[in-house]
Amino acid sequence: MFRYLALRIAQAILTIFVTVTIVFLLIRLAPGDPAYAYAGPLATAEQLDAVRRQFGLDQPLIVQYFHFLGGIFQGDTGTSYSFRQPALSVVMDRLPYTITLAIAAIVIAIIISIPLGVWMARRQNTGREATASILTIAGQSMPDFWIGIMLVTLFSVLLPWFPSSGFETWGGLVLPALTVAILQVAVLSRIVRREVAQTLQAPFITVARSRGVAGAGLVWGYGVRNSLVPVVTALGTRFAGLLNGVVVVEVVFGWPGIGSLVVRALETRDYPLIQSTVVVTAILAVLVQLVVDLVYPLLDPRVRLGRKVVS
Amino acid sequence: MSAVTDSVFKKSAVVRAARATRVKIIVGAVLTLIVVVPIVLARVLPVPDPNAQDVFLRLAAPGTEGHLFGTDQLGRDLFSRILYGGQVSLLIGVMAVLVSGVLGVVLGSLAGYYGGKVDAVISRLIEAQLSLPLLMMLLLVVALFGSSIPVIAFVIAIANWPEPARLTRAMVLVEREKPYVAAAVVLGVKRFAILLKHVIPNVISQAVVLALLLLAQAVLLESALSFLGAGPQRPFATWGRIISDGQDFIGSAWWIVTIPGLVIAFLVIGVNLIGDGLQQGSVGAAFRRLARSVTAMPGRK
Amino acid sequence: MTRTPTGTGPTRRAVLGGAGLLGLGLALTACAGPTGKRDTANTVTLALNRSLVSLDNKLNQFDAAVTVQRAVRQALTAIDEKLQPALVLASAFDQTSPTEWTVQINPKAVYSDGRRVTVEDVKVAMELYQKVEGSFVAPQFPEFPEVIDQGSGKFILRSQEPIVALPWLMSNILITPAADNKAAELNSGVGSGPYVVAEADTGTGNYTFKINEKYWAEPKPTVETVYVRFMPEESSRVTSLRTADVDVIDSIAADSATQLQGWRDVVVESVVGTRFDHFFFNFRKPKNHPLSDPEVRRALSYAVDGNAIANGIMSGSVTPATGVVPQTLIGWAETGKFEFDPGKARSELERLGVSNLDLTFIWESGEFPQDAATMEAMVEFFKPVGVNVKLKQFEPGGDISKWRRGEAGDWDVLGNGYGNQTGLALTTLQGMYASTAEQAKTHDDYHGFIFPDIASLVRRASAESDEAKRNGLMAQAQKKAWDQTPSLWAFVPNAVLAHRTSVQGLSLTPINSYDLAKVTRA
Repeated sequence: MFRYLALRIAQAILTIFVTVTIVFLLIRLAPGDPAYAYAGPLATAEQLDAVRRQFGLDQPLIVQYFHFLGGIFQGDTGTSYSFRQPALSVVMDRLPYTITLAIAAIVIAIIISIPLGVWMARRQNTGREATASILTIAGQSMPDFWIGIMLVTLFSVLLPWFPSSGFETWGGLVLPALTVAILQVAVLSRIVRREVAQTLQAPFITVARSRGVAGAGLVWGYGVRNSLVPVVTALGTRFAGLLNGVVVVEVVFGWPGIGSLVVRALETRDYPLIQSTVVVTAILAVLVQLVVDLVYPLLDPRVRLGRKVVS
Repeated sequence: MSAVTDSVFKKSAVVRAARATRVKIIVGAVLTLIVVVPIVLARVLPVPDPNAQDVFLRLAAPGTEGHLFGTDQLGRDLFSRILYGGQVSLLIGVMAVLVSGVLGVVLGSLAGYYGGKVDAVISRLIEAQLSLPLLMMLLLVVALFGSSIPVIAFVIAIANWPEPARLTRAMVLVEREKPYVAAAVVLGVKRFAILLKHVIPNVISQAVVLALLLLAQAVLLESALSFLGAGPQRPFATWGRIISDGQDFIGSAWWIVTIPGLVIAFLVIGVNLIGDGLQQGSVGAAFRRLARSVTAMPGRK
Repeated sequence: MTRTPTGTGPTRRAVLGGAGLLGLGLALTACAGPTGKRDTANTVTLALNRSLVSLDNKLNQFDAAVTVQRAVRQALTAIDEKLQPALVLASAFDQTSPTEWTVQINPKAVYSDGRRVTVEDVKVAMELYQKVEGSFVAPQFPEFPEVIDQGSGKFILRSQEPIVALPWLMSNILITPAADNKAAELNSGVGSGPYVVAEADTGTGNYTFKINEKYWAEPKPTVETVYVRFMPEESSRVTSLRTADVDVIDSIAADSATQLQGWRDVVVESVVGTRFDHFFFNFRKPKNHPLSDPEVRRALSYAVDGNAIANGIMSGSVTPATGVVPQTLIGWAETGKFEFDPGKARSELERLGVSNLDLTFIWESGEFPQDAATMEAMVEFFKPVGVNVKLKQFEPGGDISKWRRGEAGDWDVLGNGYGNQTGLALTTLQGMYASTAEQAKTHDDYHGFIFPDIASLVRRASAESDEAKRNGLMAQAQKKAWDQTPSLWAFVPNAVLAHRTSVQGLSLTPINSYDLAKVTRA
């Protein structure tokens, strides 16, 4: 069990390292003078020289790399020249908004996908389930920006129910969260359906049924409860992915989170800000995934006791 | 005489399941072909030049004379732009799938077959990549290295190689234990040759299914990149850009945004349905069970 | 471990439950609530199409920015709707000799923190404008006059050559306390205008202004709070205006304007502008390059269908240029019309021995409405003429300024707009067509357009106090410039503004700005 924990944590640290290194390498190895990456496209010749000295850009790559890592450990990931503030504080200012959006979307997704998945599992291979199945496939097949634009047109322009952008009132959360949720519902409900359907075929269900447990009690009490483990882990993984997957939705809805921040940073070539956003997002995603992995043994005794999982 | 009449048989779960799978594959294939065939045949179809502007017939509604889907803000035929734009999107998608497929199969086979350190390194890479903030990194690469078609295809390929790699690794792990491999080793066949001649061909068929699903993902990813402005430079007519440009006209010319989105949806739905159907078939199910028992890294589904 | 021997220690379920609640709690605290609806009672929200990188115009000045910048900082004079200079920080601005202007700072003028406006502030401001590299405003001055303090708020502006347009030009020099001023753009800080900066977020281009309680002039502002937001997407601006998230938007294309005109709560104001939008050739090319030949440039200009652009793509909201500066400016002279004749373009290029020409067009997103569509149209215009056009689009805030100054990649045609905030043709001529070799050393010239004879004509015009002679000199300069075919095509856009009917007092001047102090909320 501890071996499992140690392995997971080591993995997490490795992933963060890899991400940070890739970002570092990309910026340094790309064509163009990396001094502009720190000073901004409007810099004068003197400013560029100062930047070169300050960041040691004329020193070997390895030295720069350690300098860069050192900075991260001290919480300094550079200064954003478009915001004229330390990049990290800009990112942390906006991170809560993305978290809000992600949590809202996941909550909606859970509320809809679990009952939907169970419903689909109970009616496998009927006409109604087939329709629902096609709908869920459709849900994960439509581009998220397109869904967002359609929702805005319907519920903001034609029917002025919700704001079209920004986050000034709670109403502004509805459309973006729905847009993100549609994809998650589609994926999650299919996972739920698959797991529950499979569990319902297990021998212990037959035993329970033979003892008189039936209907919704059987499905929810026995079937769903025992399928929760893979569903919860899938949820966790999806939530971790959401933190960077909402980029496009944030752009469509003008959401003040880190997704729209990174797009803006890319447009203005504000590399310190891009670096910081990517590093923070990676760390957060890895942490969430780590938490999910740590919780997994608590949920599934087979893992906890070191046995191989055959599902 | 059996009590199981035809009508009873038809209602049984197995038959219904089989029928449902067939329906999925057929519907999926129809949707996919409706989109892909015209795109591939775009040059021979009697459609106007996608770049031909007719500035005084701009923003014409679908059904206007000579313009099945209407025209855009420069009077260019939308139907034609969707077809030619689709060529660019499909090209990028296919290139990306090929590269990621080859990369994934190769690395996955190596990891599965040789095991040990090779497997450890490759598996860790796979896991690391699955946690990366992918879209952001893709945008960063495009911002740094330009937005040409090869760069975008390459970048999407890098995003997608873990899936085929994991699957291949799992397949190979299963195959490796089979008697014929042991027999070949005994006969003195080099390990690498075994991998190449015997193991991989058995895995390819499953990989094809995966390739379809990857294609769908690549198309979605490419359209998102184009939408954000990181796609191939103007005046290439990629689907994402058509939708992005069309936003300005959503009040007066809703078709510019709506129709390309529907086309993307049809294509992706079709491909997903086929993939889904193939997976649900009896052959697919057997593979799935085997694959899951071996790929059971806790927490990953 | 599963073992829970006889009740000691928490059960697994309890641990899970506790962890779950903890996680939930953490997650909720990591969330953020809404940013809060602006109290619309006495506020006005403006949505600009370009990001206001700063509240200062030392580097850049685009039309919509003028309104916002002048709300915080003022200059000695300001241009009114008749394109004449009105006194602001100066209570007197008189020409006392051909090369000297005597200025008196208004004794009532104070900054928002109570400090008086002094001559030192003017002096330092003038120095700093000259120090900034790549400034938009600085090249408009044929020379920078010297500031000579005469005591008690009076000073003389003395120059070597007479500067006839000085009162107009000084309307662009924003005055900040000398101690706070820098040779860079300022994003907050103190000014003497009707509003003070409460919040400035340069990264997102969002600003919040509050009334300056110590505002010294009339009329006093009435709107409590002004929010300035950056919304690059035109569709977002239009939608936000319709849903009343935003009260005033600018730079909208004709299609959007038509949509908005049907809407009851929205008013669209349009005025023929003073901005010159053009497709400028890159004059920093080697001598043997085809684009260095004026006849080649003229031939290329025949390929552009101006009518299709002006009346098709832009739906008649722009006027094709008939000269090298907008026809609305004082001192404009008609020099010719752009012709559309692809056959002639082709034959001319053949005659000049130019074949298989590859051209790269660059522009910044948002330079003018429908810019991307127009660029795509350009690709099509040049195909039948045998010229291959490549497009490169830049996002605002990106590195296009490096490219424009010749410090990055090679380009051939630039889609650009040159705003004019003085109303005088002289200013645009000075800024665009009168660059000198001196300026070229620091890359402050206008894309390599250096023609000493034109520059000297413009210089003489700006020193000429006799109006008829001045107009004559300017006409000559314009004719010479036109003969060089500096632009592939050019047009004058209407200054368009759309606002909700609940916001009033917006009187749009031809220079596309209005006085925020006069705006009221119904």
